[in-house]
Amino acid sequence: MSSFGPTSPSNRVRIVVATSVMLTFISYWRAAAIVLNDLASSAFYACGIAEQAVGKSAPWFIVAVMLFSFAVRAVYVESCSMFVRGGVYRVVKEALGGTLAKLSVSALMFDYILTGPISGVSAGQYIVGLINETFITADIHGWIPRAVHNLFHGTPHLNVNMTSVVFALAVTVYYWWENTKGIQESSEKALRVMQITTVMVVILLAWSALTLVKAGYNPVPLPVPQNLHFSKESLGFLGHSFPEQSLARMFGLLGILIAFGHSVLAMSGEESLAQVNRELAHPKLKNLKKAAIVIAIYSFVFTGLSALLSVMLIPDAVRVPVYKDNLISGLAMYMWGPLILRLIFRAFVVVVGFLILSGAVNTAIIGSNGVLNRVSEDGVLADWFRFPHRKYGTSSRIINMVVLLQILTILASRGDVYVLGEAYAFGVIWSFTFNSLSMLVLRFKYKGERGWKVPPNLTIGGTEIPIGLFSVMLVLLSTALINLATKSVATLAGVSFSAVFFVIFTISEHVNRKKHALAKEHMKDHFQLLQSDTVDRGSLGIRPGNVLVPVRDYNTLNHLRWVLEHTDTREQDVVVMTARVSQFGTAAYGLSSEQVFSDYEQTLFTRAVSVAESVGKRISLLVVPARDPWSAIAQTAHNLESSAVSAGISSKMSAAEQAFALGSAWEAIPEPKKQFVLQIVKPEGIVDTFRIGPHTPTMKNEDVALLHRLWLNVTREPGLENVHHHDILTEALTRFAHDYGTHDHENIVKELRRHGTESGPLPVRRIADQIHTVQPEPTHPDRDDGPHSPKE
Amino acid sequence: MGLIIVTVLVRILETMFVAGAIGSVVVLVLSGIEDLKLLFGREGQNHS
Repeated sequence: MSSFGPTSPSNRVRIVVATSVMLTFISYWRAAAIVLNDLASSAFYACGIAEQAVGKSAPWFIVAVMLFSFAVRAVYVESCSMFVRGGVYRVVKEALGGTLAKLSVSALMFDYILTGPISGVSAGQYIVGLINETFITADIHGWIPRAVHNLFHGTPHLNVNMTSVVFALAVTVYYWWENTKGIQESSEKALRVMQITTVMVVILLAWSALTLVKAGYNPVPLPVPQNLHFSKESLGFLGHSFPEQSLARMFGLLGILIAFGHSVLAMSGEESLAQVNRELAHPKLKNLKKAAIVIAIYSFVFTGLSALLSVMLIPDAVRVPVYKDNLISGLAMYMWGPLILRLIFRAFVVVVGFLILSGAVNTAIIGSNGVLNRVSEDGVLADWFRFPHRKYGTSSRIINMVVLLQILTILASRGDVYVLGEAYAFGVIWSFTFNSLSMLVLRFKYKGERGWKVPPNLTIGGTEIPIGLFSVMLVLLSTALINLATKSVATLAGVSFSAVFFVIFTISEHVNRKKHALAKEHMKDHFQLLQSDTVDRGSLGIRPGNVLVPVRDYNTLNHLRWVLEHTDTREQDVVVMTARVSQFGTAAYGLSSEQVFSDYEQTLFTRAVSVAESVGKRISLLVVPARDPWSAIAQTAHNLESSAVSAGISSKMSAAEQAFALGSAWEAIPEPKKQFVLQIVKPEGIVDTFRIGPHTPTMKNEDVALLHRLWLNVTREPGLENVHHHDILTEALTRFAHDYGTHDHENIVKELRRHGTESGPLPVRRIADQIHTVQPEPTHPDRDDGPHSPKE
Repeated sequence: MGLIIVTVLVRILETMFVAGAIGSVVVLVLSGIEDLKLLFGREGQNHS
């Protein structure tokens, strides 16, 4: 058994380090919803940006990019079938080594940093567009007061770009705070957003079809060189080099390639597929493929078709001048039907746009945080960045850095979606290119398990030639190279940004290497790290019925002291565990000790051991990587067959809320599972006890009296003399369950809400009813004259 | 001279793009067939 002890090499403190993240798994529908929250959001701005760059035939290029995204998705499926966390960093590192991995992750960071600003500003454009349109409509009807009219010297009007900047800043700051507090990304929320988006997409497509029949349409020019009309900005450096020559005419195909390069941001977000892969439920590969199909079809239908429809239905005179940054709103306004219906639908489009685009701002922060945590785990970023927030335990320093860069980007863009989109494409195309190039190298280099391969593959003389993978890589590489020449803003911004990040990573890695060598020596003197793939009693050498003590902040270990003072460790083992919160996107399996056990854990356990030494009792130490600390605690308690979990009071949750969070995590564990007791130890030594799992609820005296009265009445009925109290309760609950599930659902909910309002806020009351336990002991025989709680 | 170099580079890029696009269409068709089989419950084997 692990224990405290003197720090001689022969008797060091043993710490079991679990090397697999404790995850809660999700269905492929939820995984698809998370990815689509990022990928489908580009439908709101991609076509507008592409049309400004290449002209009216832009939708065909968006459609081509969406079709090509099916092939890119295949590359990601293959990489995920090799590595559970098959994102760019891991794949490039395996194939091309650390230097190019740092370079590719710098490009990916540029992609993620830009995702936030472009989504926030785009959402702002949709909202401000609606507000201004509402002002115009109200002014036409004379609803604007004269004083307001005079103030604005005409119809009230908000500056679209500046207001969008303010909006984007507000959303970014909001999600910065949410992420600092550690609000977990919810697949449930992502699913709801996608359900609402789907309703909008269905209405959009159906109504557009009706409009095409009733009102006709403008043809979309075919994507041939003579139909391409590049703006000066869209030719970038080539525009400076060949000012008098039409490149599209000189090199016909080059024009197609340039136009394709300007549309490539429509498929941004594929990387998120690799990030959600590790959380997919079994069978992982099959579910990954299903999620990928859903994502590809959905984004093709939404992004591709809405791009085509926008050119077909919105007149040329207003499409770019008025609606370039909010094309779907423009589409809503040019549907066939009464104005009021179109305005209502436009408002709905704006609401959906707000939900999905502001969700993408959050995804950008989470994604950046995940990627930087991942490289930080590998020692590429200094441990300083991973130091947990004092109050919330999150990697707030990384979040601060990401959000600061996003705020600077928003301010620098001055609300110009086109500039942001052009720059954004740099990160998107280069991270895909690095990924596909690395996958190609790995076809020859990697000898491990590979669940699936991008088809077709031709075998000549025993050597397999990955034709499909090579083809995808060729398209991505040629597009990335041409974008370097045609997207001057993206090239300058992207190269500078990536270079700065690359230098930071390289210096950090160098400093870390030295520091880790010293830390390793120190660690060898004090701790013995034992790696274990899973958490079980065997690896810790403990008995069932132990007490699990989660710790996080080394300044608040009062609860550990309380447990040790109240536990006879000769009879009952005490396990001190800490959950190393592993962010969305970080590695999941086969982690090294250094990835999980950082400086922080070392300090934390040194303090825990000091507490144990001062009380004179033995403890076992455990580090668990986890996505969600509550799930980690519940799963660890389950795996170790703990009888109690003793935690300190949280700084951001009440004891009842902590119990509710742990109870919810316990519910997610598959059967069979055991109940345990949760003790929340407050600093003053007061302990709140809760039972986790199903249990006899607390019954109020008046409820017991009512039950007894009912029992008295019922047993007076002929033939019912032998009915027990619990029979009454069974009948009552059966009837309640029936009514709740059928006709009386609404009334019951209303009644419970009324009760909740009368006796305090419902959530607290519900929490208390569900999990707070004062277990009444059935001390009386059932046939008793007085009222009592029924037997279980 | 400069124009010749540019022309050669452009032709290389165009060739890469066209060859890649043709191959990607094949990827699209083949993986699309696999996807349909998966969706309709007749998944084939494509393991290494």
